[in-house]
Amino acid sequence: MRIELDRPRCEGHGLCEEAAPRLMHLDDDGELLIDVPEVDGADLDAAKAAVRVCPVAALRLAAA
Amino acid sequence: MTMRRIVVVGNGIAGLTACDSLRSAGFDGELTVVGAERHHPYSRPALSKALLHGVNGNGDDGLQAHELPEPTHEATELLGVNVSGLDVEARVVRLDGGGELPYDGLVIASGSRAKRLAPTEGAREPRDDGFAPELTLRTIEDAITLKQRVAARPSVIVVGGGPLGMEVASGCLQAGCDVTLVSDVQPLSRQLGDHLSGMFTAAAARRGLRVVGGGKARLIDFDEGAGFDAGARVVLADGTQLEADLVVTAIGDEPNTGWLAGSTLLVDGSLRVDTRGRLRPEIVAAGDVASFPTRRGVQRVPLWTSAIDQAKVAAVGLLRGDAAPELNFQPYFWTEGFGLSLKSVGFTPVAGAPDYREPGKDPESMLLRWENGDGSGTAAAVNYRIPIPKLRRLADVGPGALRLAAPVSV
Ligand SMILES: Cc1cc2nc3c(=O)[nH]c(=O)nc-3n(C[C@H](O)[C@H](O)[C@H](O)COP(=O)(O)OP(=O)(O)OC[C@H]3O[C@@H](n4cnc5c(N)ncnc54)[C@H](O)[C@@H]3O)c2cc1C
Ligand code: SF4
Repeated sequence: MRIELDRPRCEGHGLCEEAAPRLMHLDDDGELLIDVPEVDGADLDAAKAAVRVCPVAALRLAAA
Repeated sequence: MTMRRIVVVGNGIAGLTACDSLRSAGFDGELTVVGAERHHPYSRPALSKALLHGVNGNGDDGLQAHELPEPTHEATELLGVNVSGLDVEARVVRLDGGGELPYDGLVIASGSRAKRLAPTEGAREPRDDGFAPELTLRTIEDAITLKQRVAARPSVIVVGGGPLGMEVASGCLQAGCDVTLVSDVQPLSRQLGDHLSGMFTAAAARRGLRVVGGGKARLIDFDEGAGFDAGARVVLADGTQLEADLVVTAIGDEPNTGWLAGSTLLVDGSLRVDTRGRLRPEIVAAGDVASFPTRRGVQRVPLWTSAIDQAKVAAVGLLRGDAAPELNFQPYFWTEGFGLSLKSVGFTPVAGAPDYREPGKDPESMLLRWENGDGSGTAAAVNYRIPIPKLRRLADVGPGALRLAAPVSV
């Protein structure tokens, strides 16, 4: 699966980073960077958790 | 005891997170989630923000702003179904309409509902012509009704000076309505403290918000006033009468515990869980419905990340008992309106002026920190984009944390 970010929606809450710090992080300007866009296995669980906590639904998992 | 069947009552973010967390903790038994709302979980915070304010980064009307991705936990979902009762001894949950669900483990995530001014059930019903004397905002249906009403630019009275009342007021002002906010204290001061509250109140005043105090508000019954078809009226304790086309109340929430009335789980009407979310070894609760231990005592903290954090802990607490990690709760809160966006970490309200202030790119942009009486810190970012982990470090450690490189996660 592939993590996709709808950038205009993202408000930089960073809750996704807390759920999946290995996969994504906010840079110093508060822009979210997806470090590991293609995920499977244990990463997939973390990615799902990250997608779910975003209160503005800026993240999505799509078939790779 | 082995858990083969787990039932989750409530399909909000707490119920969803509990299901996801049960699965990632290895539970592969029968999972059933029962929810009164007909929808998959959605984002309530978005209802009063992007959805009501009508804009999204994409320039659309915001009507999809609340949608979350579909669940992947593969639970049996009974949506649009109300749970009417619980038999703790027999371990069954009773459904409206007669069905029963037996469980080995139960997650209570039934959330809360909007409090209302209107005293009786009868007064809450919309009239035949569809006119509702009092709107509240809790569900997506509420949000769509409010958005439709506001589009005609009615004059609006918002009762309640908390974050929700202020967000609704901001959305109505942005739509071009004339807005009066009823609040006895400076809006947001109870939740955030005078300093942050002052910033929001000043920004709101610049955009034309009128704030009126005068004691407890009461809705005048629509039969009481003659020639009152056009609008709604609110009277305050000091006799002040206000009239507008639309009254929206945002006076707090009350936990959905009605279905637990006969269950012996309620203590003084509240559902008090331990540090692992447990009420009994086989029953946990999480989210807006639950009161849990925090640094500032046992309380409900009806907020988004609170619901998520509680649900994660409760799911593992149900599966592993005393071996599960305890909740280490640190509040994260955000609100936006009147051109300001606030994110805060740590307990609020905060007393007095901040101990630390760093300006951002423009005059309204800043980072703030308070050292609290109990030794904890609270950090707030106003119109300032900052990674939340960094804001947490600012709250926990102080300004020195900002100059350290962020820990690299491997
Ligand atoms: C407009 C609005 C804006 C908000 N903004 C913010 C914000 O900016 N930041 C923030 O942190 N928090 C905010 N919140 C609070 C946040 O949304 C809630 O804390 C969170 O959604 C609570 O989730 P929950 O799952 O515990 O409860 P809920 O979302 O209330 O879910 C409980 C579900 O259980 C169902 N249910 C109840 N009783 C039964 C029953 N007997 N049988 C079956 N189902 C039942 C309900 O219908 C509901 O769907 C906001 C809330 C609202 C309403
Ligand atoms: S949680 Fe959502 S809004 Fe926040 S940084 Fe992640 S994607 Fe952006």
